[in-house]
Amino acid sequence: MKKNILKKDHVRPFLRKLARDSRLIAPVRTSHRDLLYQEIESIDSAEIDLSEQPQESAKQFLFPQQEQLFTYQNTSKGFTFSPRKSGMPTVLFGLRSCDISAILYMDVIFLRSPRDHYYLEKRRDTIIIGIGCNEPWDNCFCNATRTGPFLEIGFDLQLTDLGDRFYVESGRAVGDEILEKWPQFFSPVTEEDEKLRYQLMLEARSGFKRHVHVETAFQKIADNSVSPSVWEHIAKRCDGCGGCAYICPTCTCFTIFDRPLSPHTGERLRTWDACTHDGFTRMAGGHNPVNPATDRLKRRFMHKLYYDYKQFKRPGCVGCGRCVGICFGGVDIAMFVDMVCAEKRDQRQSAAVIGDLLVEAGLITRKQLSEALEKRDRTGMPLGSVLMEMGIVTKEDIANCLADKVERL
Amino acid sequence: MAGLATTFGSGAMTNSINEITGAEVIFVIGSNTTEAHPQIARRILEAVDNGAKLIVADPRRTELSRSAHIHLQLRPGSDIALLNAMMRVILSEGLIDDAFIEMRTENFKELRKHLLSQDIDKLAAVSGIPVSQIKKAARLYAGAQKGVICYCLGITQHICGTANVESIANLAMLTGHVEQAYTGVNPLRGQNNVQGACDMGAIPGVFPGYQPVSDPVIREKFERAWGQALPSEPGLTITDMTHRGRKNGIRAMFIMGENPVMSDPDASKVEETLKGLEFLAVSDIFLTETASLAHVVFPAASFAEKCGSVTNSERRVQLMHQAIPPIGECRSDSEIITELAGRLGYTMAYENSAEIMEEIALLTPIYGGIFHDRLETSWGLQWPCPSRDHAGTPYLHKYSFARGKGRFVPAENITPDELPDDDYPFILMTGRVYHHYHTGAMTRASDILSREVPEAVLEINSDDAREKGLRHGDMVSLRSRRGEIEVRVKPVDTISRGMLYVSFHFHESPVNRLTNPALDPVAKCPEYKVCAVNLEKA
Repeated sequence: MKKNILKKDHVRPFLRKLARDSRLIAPVRTSHRDLLYQEIESIDSAEIDLSEQPQESAKQFLFPQQEQLFTYQNTSKGFTFSPRKSGMPTVLFGLRSCDISAILYMDVIFLRSPRDHYYLEKRRDTIIIGIGCNEPWDNCFCNATRTGPFLEIGFDLQLTDLGDRFYVESGRAVGDEILEKWPQFFSPVTEEDEKLRYQLMLEARSGFKRHVHVETAFQKIADNSVSPSVWEHIAKRCDGCGGCAYICPTCTCFTIFDRPLSPHTGERLRTWDACTHDGFTRMAGGHNPVNPATDRLKRRFMHKLYYDYKQFKRPGCVGCGRCVGICFGGVDIAMFVDMVCAEKRDQRQSAAVIGDLLVEAGLITRKQLSEALEKRDRTGMPLGSVLMEMGIVTKEDIANCLADKVERL
Repeated sequence: MAGLATTFGSGAMTNSINEITGAEVIFVIGSNTTEAHPQIARRILEAVDNGAKLIVADPRRTELSRSAHIHLQLRPGSDIALLNAMMRVILSEGLIDDAFIEMRTENFKELRKHLLSQDIDKLAAVSGIPVSQIKKAARLYAGAQKGVICYCLGITQHICGTANVESIANLAMLTGHVEQAYTGVNPLRGQNNVQGACDMGAIPGVFPGYQPVSDPVIREKFERAWGQALPSEPGLTITDMTHRGRKNGIRAMFIMGENPVMSDPDASKVEETLKGLEFLAVSDIFLTETASLAHVVFPAASFAEKCGSVTNSERRVQLMHQAIPPIGECRSDSEIITELAGRLGYTMAYENSAEIMEEIALLTPIYGGIFHDRLETSWGLQWPCPSRDHAGTPYLHKYSFARGKGRFVPAENITPDELPDDDYPFILMTGRVYHHYHTGAMTRASDILSREVPEAVLEINSDDAREKGLRHGDMVSLRSRRGEIEVRVKPVDTISRGMLYVSFHFHESPVNRLTNPALDPVAKCPEYKVCAVNLEKA
């Protein structure tokens, strides 16, 4: 793990070297003032801008929105196929921590067995140079998904903006090689640089404007305590446009189409797909096992916040916040987490707590409790009132029980 | 358009899209907003989240009506009855805005007389909505400080479209819900530039900026700029051309970016007219059903391949930049027009679209201060914007209506031109689905969108379906007095018995062969929303 300093004046010359034998992708301020990761045609004319989070992730460079897999030709002897080679050495420069984390996530999805050849082809020769975020943006919550604002692993090089210079650390052998190959751009790190960097990282961590309690939401989903009204509310708002999946850096679903190019030739394409689309699970006969919108959204959020957690010990969301604001119905993952967390504790759950406490205290029996719960469900009255009405406990009993519990805490 | 012009003096959204978010009560009538205008719907839903109350009047239980506090499931074509009933309630219960009516409007006496002659029970019976619900909706709307009405083609595509709109304007003026922020009457435009097309004079009787061709002063201004004598008579409306073209002496046509063979009512008649022309040229980005009838087809550039401005529902003129170079042989619309004009002997030499915008500003007072350089650095400007130093107009009619005083125009309920009978017992409504746009010329070329909704679906009430022995997925033949199509059925609970709903995107089920070309007498808009049909298993 080498550490160095790169003066901002030397970034352009350094990139020129990197771009010599590779395709260079970096955040570019377009003439319409958008900030997008783009392939750099000319280092001198492109306005490379590292000051903000780009509007889209870098997903498209490893997993394009639409990608030709092969072309086919129908001759008198049958079909012949010509695969398409798409890999080339690439440098992804200036990637945000969330976008790097998303690539690591895609690696897990595409490179576990059986490997996705088309992804591997592009990923194999890709160098990742990231930049930590000194200041999180309005919708960022990578602190909650543990994917930023700075990374420990996953990058080849990571930059930290120290004002007139970048602190450069290498995270992998490839990074070391780059530092060794062009030593002229780099100078040693001083103690002051280290201190400043440490200070900036601390400040960045405390600078989040949104507090999205992703792990609490996971717990709530795991406890099955998300009330149906939450799902219904978001389902009413979903148009099924798939915008959330298209903007999401970790959404990896795709579908495949064949398209004729001439009477005897054609191409096979794969394009991004979205699990909120009706056609995603619709069967040939028209039946859809995942219907209606409630189920589709449930699947989407459960996947990101629950199944991925269980499988990979981390959510399938990197907290980039890009889905916030993309949705016509205002349904985004941060809003969902907020809703789940803000929800009043499920009545049944809290009732169960009171019931258990009373049983523990020996004031009621299990049998009495289940009778009371049944009556509560029938009448809709709170459990405490039911028990009091049944004459089993008094108001004071319940109060004492709860007070004991609080004391023990 | 015409309805708002007679009452307010200007046929556009009175307020801005973002103002919807701050409304207290939103009344949506004749608009399936979530599917057709998702950007507007998101503001409506945001307002609901902020505590606003939502009233939706629609014969179908649309997605938006699920979020509504009151859903008025009216009978198709009974909008005036509903609006009159609401106004009657507001009048009898003293919920009118006296000061506003006194100072800002005229002809209130007529409206009052008319409303007092109406029997609310009868009106309720015509609209098919219980009186109690009408009262609830009326009180809610009238009681709000900031009340917004949004309407769309469910209001205008009727033979009484103009009267429908006038009734909406009556309701808004009666309660003083105009002329301030977060209120108003908002017609929703179906395309990104319908407003712009109207603004630029793509209506028979006006030059750009709604300046009438009949006014000699205005005519002279344009004649001087264009160096040509200009007609003083209004041109023909679309159905005058596509249905009665031959009678009107039309021998040749140039159609740009429009697919009337699919989109106009009684489409077989349209096809017949076009086939009978001596010469037809069509310019479009794909070879549409209409383009395939043409003698000459111009491949047009898509929005991404050209630079220019569009004007949206809220009168906002926005600049669109060219994102990619034109693919193949296609050219931008302005290039096609100017080249064609040149070959016909009239030189139109413009360096770029910015120069065209300059000419618009010169000749069109409401666009007088709109130039490309101003649009470049902003989210656009809302007309009226008469001069360079003018910041644009977020909402209209601030201190006085465009026509001076707002005019109440009382209306009687007008029943649809074609009602169900023994031969054709069902009412057919037409509309669109979320994933497709208009005649599908563009959206059906997308694999994913085509997969989402691959074909037209006829929605039928499940009880009607059961009675007819129809199951989900059955093909039926759907007949009207004008034609017949085949379409797949889907039994639903979102529409009442006796009603059918189908989208018009699919050439395999060209529903406009069935629709009724009967026109609104003023706006000349056909009654797409109601026609009588019958169906049987194919």
